[in-house]
Amino acid sequence: MFKKIMERSRIKSPWLVHYDCGSCNGCDIETLACLTPLYDVERFGVLNIGNPKHADVLIVTGSVNTRNRHVLEQIHRQMPSPKIVIAVGSCGLSGGIFKEAYNVVGGVDRVIPVDVYVPGCPARPEAIIDGVVEGLSVLADKQRRPDAANGAVAVDHTNSEILYESR
Amino acid sequence: MAAAASALLTTGSILLIGQVPIRSVPAFLSGDLFATAVQAADFALLGLFLFFGIRFKDLLITGLSAAQIAGLFFFEFVILADSHAPAAGLYCDSLSLVMVLLICIAGSLIVLYALPYMQEHERHLKPGKSRNPVFFSLLFVFIAAMNALVLVNDLMLFYFCFEITTLCSFLLIGHDRTRTARENAGTALRINSMGGAVLLLGIVLIYTRLHTLDIQEVIARVQGTGALLIPLGLLCVAGFTKAAQMPFQKWLLGAMVAPTPVSALLHSATMVKAGVYLVIRFAPAFAGTFLSTGVAVCGAFTFLSAAALAVGQSNGKKVLAYSTVSNLGLILACVGINTRSALSAAILLMIFHAVSKALLFLCMGSVEQHIKSRDIEDMRGLFGEMPKVAPIITMGILTMILPPFGMLLGKWMAIESAAGNLFLLFMLAMGSALTVVYWARWAGILMGSDFRGKPRPERLHVLSTISLFSLLGLAILLSVSAPFFHTGLLPGSITGAGGFAPVNGSLANSAGSFAVIPLFLAAAASFLFALAGSGRSSGAETAAPYMSGIAGPENGTYIGPMNRITRSVNRNYYLSAFFGEQRLSGAVNACAGILILLMMGACI
Amino acid sequence: MIYAYALAGVILAPFAGVFIAGLDRILTARFQARTGPPILQPLYDIAKLWAKEPMIAHRFQPLCVYVYLAAAMVSVGLFFAQSDLLLIFFVQAVGAVFLVMGAFLVPSPFSQAGANRELIQILTYEPLIIIVLAGIYLSTGSFEISAVYAMDKPLLMNLPLLFIVFGYALTIKLRKSPFDISASHHAHQELVRGVLTEYSGRQLALIEIAHLYETVLILGLCSLFWTTGVLGTVVLLAATYLAEIVVDNICARMSFKWMLKSVWTTGLALSAVNFAWLYARGKF
Ligand code: SF4
Repeated sequence: MFKKIMERSRIKSPWLVHYDCGSCNGCDIETLACLTPLYDVERFGVLNIGNPKHADVLIVTGSVNTRNRHVLEQIHRQMPSPKIVIAVGSCGLSGGIFKEAYNVVGGVDRVIPVDVYVPGCPARPEAIIDGVVEGLSVLADKQRRPDAANGAVAVDHTNSEILYESR
Repeated sequence: MAAAASALLTTGSILLIGQVPIRSVPAFLSGDLFATAVQAADFALLGLFLFFGIRFKDLLITGLSAAQIAGLFFFEFVILADSHAPAAGLYCDSLSLVMVLLICIAGSLIVLYALPYMQEHERHLKPGKSRNPVFFSLLFVFIAAMNALVLVNDLMLFYFCFEITTLCSFLLIGHDRTRTARENAGTALRINSMGGAVLLLGIVLIYTRLHTLDIQEVIARVQGTGALLIPLGLLCVAGFTKAAQMPFQKWLLGAMVAPTPVSALLHSATMVKAGVYLVIRFAPAFAGTFLSTGVAVCGAFTFLSAAALAVGQSNGKKVLAYSTVSNLGLILACVGINTRSALSAAILLMIFHAVSKALLFLCMGSVEQHIKSRDIEDMRGLFGEMPKVAPIITMGILTMILPPFGMLLGKWMAIESAAGNLFLLFMLAMGSALTVVYWARWAGILMGSDFRGKPRPERLHVLSTISLFSLLGLAILLSVSAPFFHTGLLPGSITGAGGFAPVNGSLANSAGSFAVIPLFLAAAASFLFALAGSGRSSGAETAAPYMSGIAGPENGTYIGPMNRITRSVNRNYYLSAFFGEQRLSGAVNACAGILILLMMGACI
Repeated sequence: MIYAYALAGVILAPFAGVFIAGLDRILTARFQARTGPPILQPLYDIAKLWAKEPMIAHRFQPLCVYVYLAAAMVSVGLFFAQSDLLLIFFVQAVGAVFLVMGAFLVPSPFSQAGANRELIQILTYEPLIIIVLAGIYLSTGSFEISAVYAMDKPLLMNLPLLFIVFGYALTIKLRKSPFDISASHHAHQELVRGVLTEYSGRQLALIEIAHLYETVLILGLCSLFWTTGVLGTVVLLAATYLAEIVVDNICARMSFKWMLKSVWTTGLALSAVNFAWLYARGKF
């Protein structure tokens, strides 16, 4: 029974840590917008906890460069599993407009395994929320098969717009 | 040799249990010859002080000892010329017994520790000729004088012992013969001479009124009458100087220049406890008077202010010294409250404080010899370097502040007894919180993992180990058995109706109860629970601390500017803006002085 | 019999605590025009944390955490056994000290700063609570909780100002704004999670459980101010906790220096007035 409660709890209490890798701050603003009362993500138990040691979900915005890749790796390492990574914005996905810069490594998945990709420049808050909710199923999955291969999901940007319209 | 002597002392004191109360006037104490000998010794002692005063060109010491010589001369040859006071001999009641046990057991353990310590000390100091024989003889004279002090029943003999402890402390503090050692020894002599002079004045006044020097008789005749407040007040002030109460604390703080066993002895079983003993002994005589309240207020004020000063310190020995001053203040506050429960608290606090403080001082000695520093900040992660001593210090600190250990039991009793007096209560409550801060802060950093220096193997002599572990064991064992020895050992006048009594392993009075045994059971159970719990999770490897993602390869480092590996430097809060020595000392001394003047003024 | 009460209290307290904490979060959300999490959210959080991969920052940390929890449990047990108030408070302090010691073990600047600030918080609330307990003693003649229940008039009538002082202490103990100085419920600050930074996974779950116990203990102490009727008790508790939440929502974090100065001066002044009033009415 306890096991069941824990399994259910895992997807009901995703705590976030948000790392700005090298974003233009556009995606960061959108990410933080998710946490405002307008969207009220605490309904899903989401808290922005700001400490990798307490977090389950790592949200990364911006492109990875040769300097901050170590920071990203370390923050990821310091999160106890099970954990998921959500790459947000074109930059997080591929390096975006910074891709060609001399010091840019590329998207987040060049450095750490990414579970959910949220495209957009910047990604819309609804898309990011959608990404987190999408990530929860990955999280539940990870628990059932702890060393399952990375079944990465991409959030459909257009879909979330519809979600927004219908609200 | 010294070890054998310590063992003898301990057994002797234990054999004394069950013999009390003893009141005897042995023949050799009552003879004229003895009286003359003491007289001569008294004058010789004061002459010695006078000599020191002149040699140090210290006006205060010179003046005080000259005044004492004059006073003593006047007393012995003018007042006592025609009437001869009958010899009062010895008196050993439960209070004396507790003191004797404390002095002998804690004192012996300290001597045991001192044996290897002083060898190391000499190796480091390299005097031309070993001065250890002198040192150890002085230690034993000191312990002997303390024992005599708590056993004599004659005020003049008491005065004599009191002055001998002054002399011993003076010589021991100056033992290293460095400049600061001399200066601080001078301070000790200066302040304790004041105490001596005040004591002598008090004794003379008592004799002129009651024509007796028998302590028990004095107490019996004064008790309940509210008379003789001035001489009794003077005795209390003398006690305050010995117990290093504010504003007389300076000598005890200076005393830390001496080799550590001396500090341990001064702070735990001897010297300062002589002052406390004096006040406790005469407590029944001034119960219910304004003097009693005055003592309580002065004590509580010292408790609060010394605790505040300790918070502002990062020098470990100074923290220990201020904590001694503070705890003695608490004890005196209890004596001043002067109810049965409060006196219980005073005696229990005295016992537990002596044991824990001796332990902590001795540990400090080992740490200082090992890391060559007394600063608390240098003891971060001491566990990595001294895996034996660091946990002992931590445990020692926990016995000072947490239930179910004895010190907290005493503090609990004290606060419950003080609850009726608003002023006292405020001071005790604030002092108690400050106490937690300066201890917990220290205990916290000892076991951590950020040791800065290069580790060297910890060397702990077998005698030191025995001494440290016995003191720690004693602290715990005494705490567990508090409800039992409280009734068994403490004077019946305190444990009788209205005082604390053991109920089902708790110590209870009409106002509350402290579940000693149940709490110890709970503590043991939770400790096992904690061990089991942490054992289960110990399989995991230790993770690097969170350093905003830039932790370096080594624990406690980060990748700093220019990619350099930088050590993160943590420092505790010492709040010097509130509690710094410069900031507080002046005001605190002034207030304490005024309080003592008020106390004396009200006696008139 | 008292052992049965104590046991029941220790078993039931965390459930009550979950309920209170959940309600707290929902109400906070409502104040901010949000819906908020489900009421069992604290339970989900704890269960999730419990099942996370163990990650330990120092080998003695788990020991400290378990002692913290044990102390919280024992103090709640003592409370329900109607034991000595001052003793309960001191036992609770064991936990606080061990939490701080655990945070000191790790050389992380955040946890160290948090530990130091937590000590300042203890320094700030401890004297106030001791004074409030002494006020209770003066009204009832005993430090035992049973004596409070023997009163025929609610304590609040005698100690209105001390109740406010107690409220201060309560806010600090619960780490609510403006006194969330050592660790905040909301991250995003210079302190990360302060004293809690280096505890993770199961250790954090244990700390949360201990915190539930502490909340119950504090509300229990609060309930002593109205013991003559269940309705009065409930109203008093609800009003107090609501006030806490409101204060939490409308205040910003302040500095510890401000806390120490302002709380000590107001707290001591209020208690002095209350004591003087008791004195004038010949209560002691
Ligand atoms: S994706 Fe666009 S908005 Fe987001 S960080 Fe990159 S450039 Fe900025």
